[in-house]
Parts: sequence; C-alpha cells; structure tokens
Amino acid sequence: MASTLAEFIIDRAYSAVVSMDEQGLVTAWNPSAEATFGHKRDQVIGRPVAEVIVPERLRAAHVEGFRRFLASGEGRVLDRLLEMTALRADGTEFPVELTISALRDGAGWSFHAFMRDVSERKEAEREHDRLVAELHRALRGSERRFEAIVGSLGDAVTIRDREHRFLYANPAAIAHLGFSSWEELRDTTPAAIMEDFLVFAEDGREIRMADIPSVRILRGEPAEPLLIRTVNRHNGAQRWNLLKAAPLLDEDGEVEATIMIIEEVTERKRVELQGIFLAEASALLASSLDYEQTLRNVAELAVPEVADWCAVDLVDEDGDRVSVAVAHVDPARLDLAKELRSYEPERLDPRQGLGLVFRTGQSLLYPEIPDDLLVEGAVDERHLELLRAVGFRSALVVPVRLGDRILGALTLVSSDSGRVLDEFDRKLAEQVAARAAVAIENSRLYSQRSSIARTLQQSLLPERLPEIPGYELASVYLPAMEGSLVGGDFYDVWSVGDSWMMIIGDVTGKGVDAAAMTALVRHTMRTASEFLTSPAELLARVDATLKQRPSLSVCTALCLRLQDDRATIAVGGHPLPLYVTEQRVSAVGEHGPLLGAFAEVSWQDIAVELQAGGTLVAYTDGITDAVGGTGTRFGFERLCDALDGVGDRSAAEVIGRLSEALAKFQTGAHADDTAAIAIHRVAAAAAAEANASEADSHASNGQNHDRRLAGARHGQTN
Amino acid sequence: MVRPTEFKITRTTTETGVTLSITGELDLSTVAVLAESVGRLGGDGKQLTLDLSELSFMDSTGLRLLIELDQQARREAWKLVLIRPRHETAAAVLQATGADSALPFEDPTDR
Repeated sequence: MASTLAEFIIDRAYSAVVSMDEQGLVTAWNPSAEATFGHKRDQVIGRPVAEVIVPERLRAAHVEGFRRFLASGEGRVLDRLLEMTALRADGTEFPVELTISALRDGAGWSFHAFMRDVSERKEAEREHDRLVAELHRALRGSERRFEAIVGSLGDAVTIRDREHRFLYANPAAIAHLGFSSWEELRDTTPAAIMEDFLVFAEDGREIRMADIPSVRILRGEPAEPLLIRTVNRHNGAQRWNLLKAAPLLDEDGEVEATIMIIEEVTERKRVELQGIFLAEASALLASSLDYEQTLRNVAELAVPEVADWCAVDLVDEDGDRVSVAVAHVDPARLDLAKELRSYEPERLDPRQGLGLVFRTGQSLLYPEIPDDLLVEGAVDERHLELLRAVGFRSALVVPVRLGDRILGALTLVSSDSGRVLDEFDRKLAEQVAARAAVAIENSRLYSQRSSIARTLQQSLLPERLPEIPGYELASVYLPAMEGSLVGGDFYDVWSVGDSWMMIIGDVTGKGVDAAAMTALVRHTMRTASEFLTSPAELLARVDATLKQRPSLSVCTALCLRLQDDRATIAVGGHPLPLYVTEQRVSAVGEHGPLLGAFAEVSWQDIAVELQAGGTLVAYTDGITDAVGGTGTRFGFERLCDALDGVGDRSAAEVIGRLSEALAKFQTGAHADDTAAIAIHRVAAAAAAEANASEADSHASNGQNHDRRLAGARHGQTN
Repeated sequence: MVRPTEFKITRTTTETGVTLSITGELDLSTVAVLAESVGRLGGDGKQLTLDLSELSFMDSTGLRLLIELDQQARREAWKLVLIRPRHETAAAVLQATGADSALPFEDPTDR
C-alpha cells in the first residue's frame, strides 16, 4: 500500500478489505477479512481472488465480468452496494454486502472491495418471511375464516414480530394508522408511525414506545390493556384508543410475535368525559352566587379538558364586551393570552368572531386557523406577533344566552395540544354555556333581591342616635355577609314625654320578609309607646301583632325605658343586657319568652338603677354566636372579658372595645347580623343629680346577676 | 369550618314513631339539614321525637324550626316530643326564650 496511514486504517476497519490487481490476484487482506473468510493473510496474498472467496458455481460469471471490465473499462458492479454469496475457508457459503472500487495508476488497475458478513440479518429476514408465510397459511389456508373475521373487524388488529415489524394488519388497522395500503404500512418502521402522533395516557402523561402493551410483552412484562389518547400531528385529530395485546408463542413457548387489538373508544370516552366535565361545571356554577368567580372557575376547568385556553366575556348594557376570565393550560403563557386580549377592542366587529356571535347568538367553529386569517384580524405588527406566538390551531366561540338574550360568550382555543376542535366540542361548550347562562341570571336576580332586602333592612336603623341629657349613646351594626339569607337585627331609640325608649331585637326570617317584620315591630313599638309605659306591656303588644301575621313570625326583643337614672327593662327571648361598672360586669333583667311564638305568655319589667359612670350594653346574639378559628363561639365569657375593666369610659369607647375583641376573634365574614348599643350615664350629670336620687340601689333592683351566675344561667340566651 | 362536634342526625324507628337524634351544633348552617330530614319523613309517623340531648349549641334559627314543627304537629294532629339538651349552652337558649316550657320538652332518660 502507498502509505502507512492507509494501512493503519485498513488494518483496523470493521469491514473486510480485500484488494486485487489486474491479474485478479490478492494484494491486500486485512484482519477483518481474516476473520470473515477464515484465511490468514499470508495464505492468500498472490492467489486469485476468484479461487479464494468466490464459490465455485459462481466463478465463471466472476471471471467473465472481470474480463469484460478490463476490455471495456465499464463495470456494472463498481461503486454501489452489492449483495453476493461468498465462500469461507471451510467451504461454507454466506451472504456478504460489499462495495468495489477500481483505481488506475502507473502500475495499471487495482480493485478494492469492502465486505460485510450479513448472514445474521439474512437469517432474521428469512425467519420473518417464514413467519409471514406461516401466518398467511394459517389465515388463507385451512382457516380462511380467521381472515374473513379479522379482516372485516371494525377494530384494528395487527400482528408484529419480535422486531416490531408488521406481519399482518387488517384493513381497519391500515386505515387507523393512516396508511392507504398494506405495503405502505409494512415498509414503515414502528418508530416512524409513532412519530406521527402525540400519545398520552389517560392521566395526561406522555406514552412512549416502551409503554405499548405489545412491546411490554416482548420484554416479558405483563401487558394490561392501555387506554391512550392520540393526537395526529398532521391533521390534529384526537382519538381515544384501547390497546390490548397478547403473545403468539412458538413450539418452545417463546414469544414469536404479538397480536394487538386497537379498539377505538373515542366516542365512548368523549361522552364519558363530557359527562364528568358537565357535572363538574354544573357543580361549580351552582356553588356560588358570585358569578364572576364562578365563570373564572369554569374557565379553569375547561383547560386542558376541552381546550388550551378559555376566555369568558360578558356583554354589558351597551352591548360592549367585558372580559371576565382567561385561563391558559400553561400559566406561564397566561400573560401572553392576557396581553393578546388587550388588543381586542371593547366595541367588537359585528361581522366576525366574538362580535358576530354576540350579534347572531350562533356559535362559531374554526376547525383550522390559517395564517392569513391572523394577518386579516391583526391590528398591528405586535398584535400579529402575539397571535402567531399563541399558535392557534382551532377556535370555538359559543354564546352564553338566555332565550334571545345574549349575556356573553365562551371562547375556546386549541394551540399547543395540536388537536382540532370539532362538532363534539361545540356541543359540549354549548351545554356549558347554557348552564353558565342560568348561573349568571340566578346570581343577578339574587343579588338584586338580596340588596333590596338589605337596603330595606338597613334603612330601618336610625341614621343617628338621639342625644339624651345625662347620657351618652353609641352603637355598632355589622350586617351579615353579602348573600346570607339571615339577618334582621334592628334597634331604635326615641323619646316619649319625659322618658326615652330603646328597643333592640332580631327578627328570624329571610330577606324582604324579615325587613317587613322589622318595620312592623318598630312601628308597633313606637305607636304603642304613646299610651303604654311598661316595656313588658309593649312586648306583649308586639307579640300579639306578630301572631296575627299569616306565617310564623318570631322575634327577640329587649325593650328599655329610661327615665332619669332608672332603666326599666323587659326581655323577650333576647340576651340580657350587661351592666358595666368599674367593679364588675353583670347581666341584668329577667328572661321572658320569644315574641310571636307561644300562647299564653307574659313579660316582666325589671328596674335597674344606673350609677354615674355605669354603662348598659344591649346586644344581639350575632356577638356571642360569632365563630372563631377553632370553631368555638365568642360566647358570654369573652364578651364579659372584653367589657371587664372598661370602667368609666365613654359609650363609644365601650363599643370600640367590644368590636375590636370580636374582630380579633372572628374568622371570616359575619354569618349573622351583629348589633350592640351602649348607654353610658356620664359622671358629670350623675354628680349634678347626686343629691336628688339615692344611687345606692343594687339591692333594690334585686335582679342583677353576678357575672359568674349569669354566665352559667343566662350566658347564652338565643 | 372546624366545628367542635360534628353535626349529625341519627334516625331510629320504634313502634311509637321515628326518633331523630341530633348531635353537634344546630345553627343557621345546619338547620336546613334537619328541616330536610324531618321533611323527608312525610306525614306517616304518629310521633316524631327529636332527641336534642347531645346538642351542644342552638341559635335562633334552630329555635325557629322547633316552633314551626310544634305548630305543624298541632295543625296536622301528630305528636312532637323534644328531648332536652344536656349541654348548658343549648339548654340556656331554650330557657331564656321560654321555649323550654312552651314546647313539648321531656328530660332525657338516664343512660
């Protein structure tokens, strides 16, 4: 050889390298050639190639071809991949794959062959052919019925050999895998077929070749049926397939091939998923009366189940778009989606997209979105850039309508998942939209009704408390959380002659009815107070009035008459008021029955002397029933603790202390109305009257309960 | 929300009628559950006993339901029996509102 480098390479080449001269004698023979043919280099150098490696029956043709080349300079065998039969030293024949190159220099022609033993591959191919022949015998020969049955089966059936190559595929399988003929399918590798699809398991994880049941069988693993979702990368079609595989064993019990049945369950699966999705969406829509939040939840639910992103828009009174929710399958791209939506004008083009849907009330499905549609729709360069970045594949716009009224629209877009939205998705989205419409309407009606009732209820509270000489008044009213159906606390303070009346109560009822009851109670009280001075009699009058109402109307109330330093108290099913001095906190008064509830009942007046600096605190059960973090109630003890030691403070300070303690304890919104009113006898006024009235009268009212006792016996009234 | 005792209604049927035993807190968040349970019984029972002996709390909405049931029983001529709560907080509401004497309450039998 000409150079040591060439020798170096040839010596180490994986292929057998054999060179010969014009006479057809061996001139080079590398170590691979020694291994392939079984001849040592020394044994063959200078011998005719034809004798050494060409089987005798083929030698004449070889010599003839060689002679023809030397005569004409044209060789049909040069510089292309050939397959030939070669001869080993031991006389056996074997298939080789080779290329031959010819080189002419000063010494004349030389020929160089690179050869490989391909007997193993040939063996595998023969085995494959044998299996195919066997199978075809089985199918077409004695058991034609198999072919008849499997061939006409709607399910795709394939049989593959150990290398995953197809031995058989019925027409359904050929069509299912996207091929037009058996030959085309047979000549495509399994990996190449797999590449045409995005394949996912039911839980969304990606499925690889190794997970396919037939491949698992070949690894000796059990192969449970596998449900997969495929998305065709080319046309975006989505399918659900159930793969079931079983081994075909040879006589020795070895796996010879696998048979796989691909059952398409797309329709069934989508109906099932649709059912689940609709059930979830319905539950979400019914879960709250805050429809904006609800629609956001539904949008979140729609990705990735139905689409890659989902937007909800509502129409306002002027017919303009109000964006309510945008959800994207990839939160990182939500910004993109939101920025994109900022480009959409509030006033929509009535001829296309959302505007068209708002106008016609008909849903729009764009199975494919070509680029020119984006160009057409783009406002400017940045907008077009964003539209392209989103990677729209298909889109669906469905109206949210109630009869002829268009409330808004759901927009569903498929992008990254690559699947196209179809008629099935349209139907699903329309059903979700129908439920959303009902939820929106309910919530609108409800919030109207509830705010009417709320407004009415609150309008029944005095705008401000009157000024009472010698006293200071303060109150707090915390309405129940929005949407709560209960609530109905009220209070009122008014003057009658030389005395002052105060009432605080709680009607148990709902909405407008509760407000009507409150009005009735207050009106009755005010009117009756013109001719009745006893709080107990006033309660009896209210009780009688409530009992005349057609439906059960019950109410708790505390009625108090204030004259000079004396308070006369009657209580009907209401918490007893607390009398707070520098020394102690005690509940005063006597429990009496709930108003409007029971037959043959009466109430009692209890007189309480108010010391200078003392404060009476009347409250509703919204305070003691308030729920804290661990589920415990605020209760009577905490209420007393909050008021303990407030001493000679102003009424406003007392109420402030109480509100603060409650706010610190309570978690979440008020479930019920909460009200309290403080009546503080100011020290200066008390001093002026010190001589006029004997304030040493704790014993005289006799009905004071010391705090411990009150906690036990009267702590939680209602 | 975490509640000290879980609200639970246990139904037992005896020869005399149906007993619903209520544990936990009867308030505006649970009162509808009890109302529904009672409603579902229909009018076939001769006697309905509400065993409130293990009731730990009752607010005005719970009380209102008891009053409604009492009026309904009178109207439809079936017998309502209420078993007094052992818990102080629930018992206090009934006493303070006059319900304890006005409604057909009985003491719980000793166990």
